[in-house]
Formats: sequence, C-alpha cells, structure tokens
Amino acid sequence: MDREALIAAVTSPHRERGVDGEVRPHPAWFDLDDAGRHEAFEQASASRRMEAALDPEGLSGTARAVLARIRR
Amino acid sequence: MDLDVHLDAIAHGDDRAFARWMAAAEPRVRAGLRSFAADVDTEAVLQEALLRAWQVAPRVQRDGRGDSLLRYTARTAHNLAIDEVRRRGRTRALEPDEDVAAPEVPLSDPALGAQLRGCLDALPDQPRRAVLARWEQGPVEHDRALAERLGMQLNTFLKNIGRARKALQDCLERAGVALGGA
Repeated sequence: MDREALIAAVTSPHRERGVDGEVRPHPAWFDLDDAGRHEAFEQASASRRMEAALDPEGLSGTARAVLARIRR
Repeated sequence: MDLDVHLDAIAHGDDRAFARWMAAAEPRVRAGLRSFAADVDTEAVLQEALLRAWQVAPRVQRDGRGDSLLRYTARTAHNLAIDEVRRRGRTRALEPDEDVAAPEVPLSDPALGAQLRGCLDALPDQPRRAVLARWEQGPVEHDRALAERLGMQLNTFLKNIGRARKALQDCLERAGVALGGA
C-alpha cells in the first residue's frame, strides 16, 4: 500500500478493539512516517467536519463510532 | 456555551444527550491532540477518551468552572496519549496540559452541508460512491468490507477516498470554505 492509500486508511473512523476492550490504533498508522501521520491527522479532522456537516444530528464519523460502541 | 448543560442527562444514561455533547466537544478534544499526531493514532485515543467520558459521567463533579466533562475528557485523552508515547519508547516534549481552550469549531454547519452536497454531486462516480460508503458505514465497518460491497479492491477504494476528499476540499475552497488538511 502506498503512502496516499495509507493516509486514506488512517482517516477512517473505524477502529478495532483489543482483547482488553481498548480502542486499537489503525494498523496503517504504524506504516506512516511522522509527516504522513501529521497529514493523516489534518485530513481526518477535515473529513470529520464534512461528515458532521452532512449528518442530521451534526455527528462526525468519530461520534457515530463511539455511539455504536455505547449502544451495542 | 458550557457543555455541562448536557451533563445531568448524560449521567442518567441519555445517549442522545451524549451525542449532542460529542457534536460540540469532539473537535476541541481532537484539537488538543494535534501535537501528538506523530506519536499516537489520535483517532483511537480520542474514541477511547470519549468512551471513558460516557462511563465516568455519573461521577463527574461540577467545580464551577464549566465544561467539567469536556475538561475531564481532554485530560483523559492527553493522559492516554502520554501513556502510549511512553509505552512505545518515543521521546517527545510533554505538553503542559490538555488544550480545551482550542478554538471552538462547530461541527454542525448547515451552510457547509448545503455547499458540500453540491460538491458531492460534482464528483466522478467512483470517488463519490467510495466516500458516501465511508461516511455512511465507515464508523462501524472496515474499509475492506466497504470496498468489497462496491466491487473495488481495497487499494482502489482508498485511492478513491483520497481523490474524493481532495476534490471536495478544493470545491469548498473555491466557494470560500477552508477546512485545512489539503
């Protein structure tokens, strides 16, 4: 997977949980260098704002992922 | 606005009140993690901190300063990030404290939503399908599953996500809306 695809992968709000129940880092995040990680942060922030702008309740993908955990 | 207006309802298990609180709190907690972006997966840290906020809300005490749950969550996110930095043996200058004073960026923005819908309509088919699938099911499904449903290879799906995000931001910027992260 090239750098562009790795960054796009990390911008997903989907995260697995570990055996201890904690939210796990995205595997692609480990394959990025520091500059790529900063870029992924900025792109994820922009994506969250766009998601929230289109959501009837103003919720981003992050908030919806957390709600899904709570309601499970 | 003091986000503690939602605290009593959240403490009584009202997940819709928690959703309203998150809509305002999330960007501020995320902004406080910016300096950790190279050290930890901030999305994972942020979600863990928000989940803990939900769990601890019934025990959060108001201290008269306002935004009690927000400050708890920002502090939790900061501490989780520091723990992860130490666990990985990374070296970094520790930030002084959580950054709840970060500029408040409202996530809910009807004008942005209307502009964005126009930009979405102008996207080529494949990037539009990819980004809509990510926005609709991305919080609960792995990209691999979304790509399969669309009949795309994972790498193609991710390329389309990147193309869509860039095209949408360019479209918004032409309309005078800057989101950052170009």
